[in-house]
Amino acid sequence: MNDTPEFKPESPGLEAWRMFRRNIPAVFGLVLLIVIFLATLYGALIYNGDPFDIVWAPHEMPGATPEFPLGTDYLGRDIIAGLLTGGGPTLAVGAAAAALTMFIGISLGALAGYYGGWVDNLLMRFTEFFQVLPALLFAMVLVTLFSPSLWTIAFAIGVVSWPQTARLTRAEFLKIKELEYVTAARAIGARNKRIIWKVILPNAAPPLIVSATLTIGVAILFEAGLSFLGLGDPNVMSWGLMIGANREFILEAWWPVTFPGLAIFLTVFAVSLVGDGLNDAFNPKLRQR
Amino acid sequence: MSPLLEINDLAVTFATRHGEVTALDSVSLHVNEGETLGIVGESGCGKSITALSVMGLIPQPHGRIRAGSIKLAGEEFVGATPARLRQMRGAEAAMIFQEPMTSLNPVFTVGDQIAEAITLHQNTSRDRAFKDAIALLDRVGIPEPDKRARDYPHQLSGGMRQRMMIAMAVSCRPKLLIADEPTTALDVTVQAQIFDLLNEIQRDFGAAILLITHDMGAIAEMADRVSVMYAGRVIETATADQVLDTPQHPYARGLIDCIPALGKSETGLKEIPGVVPPLHMLGAGCAFAQRCDHAQARCLREKPKLINHGHHPAACHGVEEARL
Amino acid sequence: MTLSYLLRRIGYGLLLMLGVVILNFFLIRLAPGDPAVVIAGEMGGATEEMLESIREEYGLNKPIFTQLWIYVSGIATGNLGESFFFNQPVSKLIGLRIWPTILLVITAQILSISIGVFMGVIAARKPNGILSGIVSIFATIGYAVPVFWTGIMLIILFASVIPIFPVEGMQSVKLRDAGFVVKTLDIAHHLVLPAFTLAIIYLAQYARLSRASMLEVLGSDYIRTARAKGASEVSVLFKHALRNAALPILTVAGLQFGNLISGALLVETVFNWPGMGRLAFDSILRRDYPTILGVLFFASAMVVVANIITDISYRWADPRLRRKS
Repeated sequence: MNDTPEFKPESPGLEAWRMFRRNIPAVFGLVLLIVIFLATLYGALIYNGDPFDIVWAPHEMPGATPEFPLGTDYLGRDIIAGLLTGGGPTLAVGAAAAALTMFIGISLGALAGYYGGWVDNLLMRFTEFFQVLPALLFAMVLVTLFSPSLWTIAFAIGVVSWPQTARLTRAEFLKIKELEYVTAARAIGARNKRIIWKVILPNAAPPLIVSATLTIGVAILFEAGLSFLGLGDPNVMSWGLMIGANREFILEAWWPVTFPGLAIFLTVFAVSLVGDGLNDAFNPKLRQR
Repeated sequence: MSPLLEINDLAVTFATRHGEVTALDSVSLHVNEGETLGIVGESGCGKSITALSVMGLIPQPHGRIRAGSIKLAGEEFVGATPARLRQMRGAEAAMIFQEPMTSLNPVFTVGDQIAEAITLHQNTSRDRAFKDAIALLDRVGIPEPDKRARDYPHQLSGGMRQRMMIAMAVSCRPKLLIADEPTTALDVTVQAQIFDLLNEIQRDFGAAILLITHDMGAIAEMADRVSVMYAGRVIETATADQVLDTPQHPYARGLIDCIPALGKSETGLKEIPGVVPPLHMLGAGCAFAQRCDHAQARCLREKPKLINHGHHPAACHGVEEARL
Repeated sequence: MTLSYLLRRIGYGLLLMLGVVILNFFLIRLAPGDPAVVIAGEMGGATEEMLESIREEYGLNKPIFTQLWIYVSGIATGNLGESFFFNQPVSKLIGLRIWPTILLVITAQILSISIGVFMGVIAARKPNGILSGIVSIFATIGYAVPVFWTGIMLIILFASVIPIFPVEGMQSVKLRDAGFVVKTLDIAHHLVLPAFTLAIIYLAQYARLSRASMLEVLGSDYIRTARAKGASEVSVLFKHALRNAALPILTVAGLQFGNLISGALLVETVFNWPGMGRLAFDSILRRDYPTILGVLFFASAMVVVANIITDISYRWADPRLRRKS
């Protein structure tokens, strides 16, 4: 509050950004995430070539050949090329799956929380049903049934991940719909649709934004898991696929599995640092604990 | 004979956002065996901190005893080892808290919680202790004690819970019972019952009571002697009758005027204007000066000491000058 | 604990399982192509005779609701269909594979809860202490590490650098015929790495959660009461506080169980653990749908059972819930 001019309340977003900026781990996460994003975006251009191409002898140690600083895999494919081109699909699937998760989760949660009664009952039973299905297994089944492509993978991850978002949204709606400004909106004759999307949802946004961020992390891990199992799109290089493909040879060569794993870890780590930072920024009181 | 509890020049500070804050400033008081000392004052005046200091339960890690001494039955407890303090708590001094709802553990039965207090200090079996707990519940006037002992706190009414708290506190027959606003959270009708019970318990068990309250009415009902506290200091101390009949400090007078009396009309009810200043804003002078009708220049400059100005001890420049 | 509550809870669980069965039924029909071919397995190279017998058995020529009825009643009598790849009834296949998975999942759950909660409790004593810092960093890292990669890293470490734990399978071949004790110890020895791999993620999360939950509880009035009675610090932390802090931990433990099974799937694949996850992986590669759906059915059943147990322990932990309704 040091340099805030008086009598001019800040927008909540700006205030959150001010809090976020002071949070060193969160800023670190954000920077890391931007670096990873740019690396996957431009890296593919710098290393133009097919990551599936066999370019050298298999299992070249990292650092042994200056051309391939991270070495080659069991077939002699360049690991750096795989890392740079494999990140894009992983991030894209993660983002698309998270978007679908949020879309399904927010829609169902909002309806359940806002209307209550039998709508709530029905939707919550439906949600509980989906929580009974082990997510990864269900996603594996869906991907297998509908032949793997980036779209089906994103779709499968979205279909199995939404229940938590739905529950969170419902809880927020239950809380907010009792507040005065919602009653006020109703009193001036606003319709349900307007109250849900224009009045309640913006006020439920902070926890949902945090949840969306963390959902991206989970979706990336999911995509990596599926690709690792060989259920990813076989024509697209991805970090999970690199680990899965080289799994048989880990005792001969550690590097082809270690670097893609580190890449996944750093990406999800960065995402969750940002998520935690957003959480702290939106709830400054919680952080003082 | 030396008093049961003797507190001398006790100073307690808290680390806060505003820096080190003095919560208790050279507090001295004593409780004789078998008597009831009332500590009275508004919230934030330090009366609960005084009680927690005796129990060795000042909130950690922010609170610290800076100076002074607390002697219970002649033994010094400032600087005592944690193990010795633990031994003392519940056995030699026990405490009844303000909120019987939140002060009882929701996941253990009433009987278990009392029995635990017993087994902590006496070499006895759990079954034996549970039977003792039932006897104690009976003693504090809880009907069907063997059934209630198996209930959880949320199944009892507020008054019942406070009776149970009392049963737990007296379970090891402590010589000193500290009651921190024992009736504040209860209905008026139940309040009288709890006071009666405390009086009875005191008679039967021979315990001394340190009663902490903001209510002069409770003092009139219960206390033999009174210490009035304000902003971390004792500002007046005497027998209950003396303080109630001839209060010296303007603050004590104000508190007594606040007692609603029978026959007095509602409009006659007074209140002391203003609030207790925050502890980090205390200046050099008398902490009550801002709210005092009789404040003079000296009151803002110099802290008055607790001195007997003829009648009984009070910390007020005004009283001192009136005598001159 | 009222019996009627328990029965109601089990009834609801059965209803959820019926839902899973119906979902399975429609999943097969949603798959592109002839359901008989799907059931036989695309890689199975089924003959026309086999397909005909499948059509007969599943009533694929009958109306869809009759088909559903045949399918549901079949499963109710324990018939999960036939795996054409393994050439065995699915129920038998899974019967062999379910115990290793249960062993792995339960061990991991116990490890992560006990170690995680213990760390969280200790950390809560000093909210700004070193352990608190370690717990929250560790929790963020644990959340971000892909579980299969942790497993692989541990294999590299323990296969070559410190070879003290077996990195593959559940039993040593040469100890197959050993006595019960030796065999049990052998399995336990094999269990160490997979169970820890699976436990690590959740361990960190439980530590963070129980730290937060304990911090909230430690500020309560009844903790002060316990101290005023003369209770020791250990008793205050682990008896008075933890029993109350356990409620959110239990909630999460119940919700995490499905994720734990998902994790087990990956861990089993990495360590060649002969459980359902491994079976799911093998059958997915072979497009062996009856087996895949059987695994989905049993894995869901495990989650349902875990949820019922969670609900019951929730009522045990919080007496305020017991006599309501």
